[in-house]
Amino acid sequence: MIKKTYPILLVLLVLFAALSCSEESNPEFDKQTFTTIFDNNKFDASYFPIDMRQTPDGGYIILGGRKLTDEAESDFTGIYLMKADHFGNFVKDMEVASTSVNPVADFAEFQTKYYFLCMDPISQQAQVASVDANLESVNISPVQGGLTYPAAASFVDNNFIAVGYNNADKQTVIAIVGPDGSELSSKGYTIGVGEDVEKPILQHYLRTGTQYPFDAGKAPNGLYYFNGFYNYTFSLVFTDMTSDDPIGVVEGQRENGGFSAVLPLTGNKFALSRFNFGDNFLLPNNTLPTSGITQTTDLGGYSLPELVSNARVRILRATVDTKNVLIYGSDTKSKQIGLLYYDESTGEFIGSRYLGFSNPFEIASLTQTADGGLAVCGTTYLAGRFPRICILKISKEELAADASK
Amino acid sequence: MKSLTLFLCCLAVAIGVSGQEKKRKQSTYNKAKQNKEDNKFLDKQWWLGFKAGVNLSGVTVDKTYSVISPTNYEASTIGKQYDNFKLIGSQATIEVSFYFKRFLLSFQPTYQYSRFSYENNFEWNAQNAEGGQTNHVELKYEQEQKLDYAIFPLLVKYDIYGNRLRPYVQAGIYSAMLINATKSLTASGIDNAAGGENQFRSESVEVGADDLFAKYHWGLMGGVGVNYNLGNHVRLNLDVMYKYGMSNISSTEHRYGSDRLAGVGDAMDDLTMDNISISLGCLFPLRFLQSTLQTLDK
Repeated sequence: MIKKTYPILLVLLVLFAALSCSEESNPEFDKQTFTTIFDNNKFDASYFPIDMRQTPDGGYIILGGRKLTDEAESDFTGIYLMKADHFGNFVKDMEVASTSVNPVADFAEFQTKYYFLCMDPISQQAQVASVDANLESVNISPVQGGLTYPAAASFVDNNFIAVGYNNADKQTVIAIVGPDGSELSSKGYTIGVGEDVEKPILQHYLRTGTQYPFDAGKAPNGLYYFNGFYNYTFSLVFTDMTSDDPIGVVEGQRENGGFSAVLPLTGNKFALSRFNFGDNFLLPNNTLPTSGITQTTDLGGYSLPELVSNARVRILRATVDTKNVLIYGSDTKSKQIGLLYYDESTGEFIGSRYLGFSNPFEIASLTQTADGGLAVCGTTYLAGRFPRICILKISKEELAADASK
Repeated sequence: MKSLTLFLCCLAVAIGVSGQEKKRKQSTYNKAKQNKEDNKFLDKQWWLGFKAGVNLSGVTVDKTYSVISPTNYEASTIGKQYDNFKLIGSQATIEVSFYFKRFLLSFQPTYQYSRFSYENNFEWNAQNAEGGQTNHVELKYEQEQKLDYAIFPLLVKYDIYGNRLRPYVQAGIYSAMLINATKSLTASGIDNAAGGENQFRSESVEVGADDLFAKYHWGLMGGVGVNYNLGNHVRLNLDVMYKYGMSNISSTEHRYGSDRLAGVGDAMDDLTMDNISISLGCLFPLRFLQSTLQTLDK
């Protein structure tokens, strides 16, 4: 009889073996996908991220802003730096002294250091700050030249292409600034005459009004561009940095319309997004005239009512499963971070993903990570009110799945 | 390592069964012809049973995870506080056992509904120049896990003594397959930022959480019980079982898979789950000695 039970026992053992695929801890999973919210238990602490880079050790270094709680310090935003490890765990942070304020993106990696522009709160003179990957020390040096009120910068050919504001001459200034603080070139363009033109610009710096999507960079055709105020209007201005007049201008709608994100692709092809009286339009595959005067309102685009009014938009050029993909990140009315994926070559929509729930989430930056995944840095509001920096890491596999829906 | 342990457990069960075959031969030799018919019946019998009852679950944390990473206070202050063995679950079992010489090899597929809970507490404070507290917000998230498992236990039982009343001990291994998982989240707290103490409590939110839990886990089990012969070949069974989880019940790959839960700072820890259950049921013999359907139990 007992021998008759052997087959049954065997079946049971096989059943156990089949069902006992137990779950083992895997640090790789913990690196590939995570969500981290960096909390400070001070009631009045307020931090927001500006840009993020992945460090060679797989961790993340974040450039952020902080509310200066001491009224004697400055009305501008203070500088906050933070380091997280490759699991997204907090490692170290640094509140830079309020003798430097108003940090702006890009947070650029150059020769083992990370550079960004900020400014002197008294003179408003632009400064170049650098920090090592472990936040051991910050070095800040003034930009040698007339650049004041830096608003944004991109790091191209080992130099910053920065856009700032000269409030003495009422000009938007584009400048090329070296990591050592040397100003290699600059050119100013009038914003127009009158206090009303200047008011939204100053409110932007003091963060008491609309945060405009200032930007600057270099187009593939060799022209420099800035996204800022020109001739009473928020415009995308192309310049060779020598002519007194711009080569080309794509005009917005005074302070109520313009481009919310600009990413040069090839030739005159750009990935863009624009805002117009609260509405938002995505233009993932657009050929833009870089000369003459044109209007953003003529460009059309995919209208996305789900986005908040005049939404902040970030565009990342990424490689997903050997395909070049444009990832648009923005803030939705449901207080999530929306990611929209487009085929770079055709501009075709290929997928989407929404991050965050329960508490509000807002986007700050997108980074493709060394493992082929995506790291989204943003702000969330713990308990619905305390602004805190967060990182949402998506694995390579999830990214591929999202971009192929 | 745990796979090896599983294999060894299975091997032990097989050896135990094999050993009993030898014992049976010796016993038969020594007690030749005594109550031959009785022994025939008792030496080999199949039993089929049904039982159901209640259970309590508790977890052991192998590794802690959290979405919230504190920058100016200790992470332990916001750690999860588990309420173990407090929430009642239920289970229903079909039992198929083969009996010989007081030993039973028993397969008991079970549907088990388990619950456990934990809570996180967060605080934000503001202090004035004198160090006094001026503003204060407390937030508590209570999370209840509701897990449905198909459990496949393989047990060896031993009848300690008796005829009509037959207490037994049992030990074995089990494998569990997740059928369904949900989490319910309730937020509550105190907010005195508005000038007074504002206590609030949100409605519970139910979230599907299948992806947050491992599809399979396994463990060891042991227990005691008693069978009572009702006199008409049917045995009433009271069974107490303790399951000791050996593998992680959380999904390591999809720990942050729920935006809704990650958004409030929740990530599942690596956990093993223990469970204590009490069941009441009936056992029916599948082979009868006499045509009158009478068993030999006195």
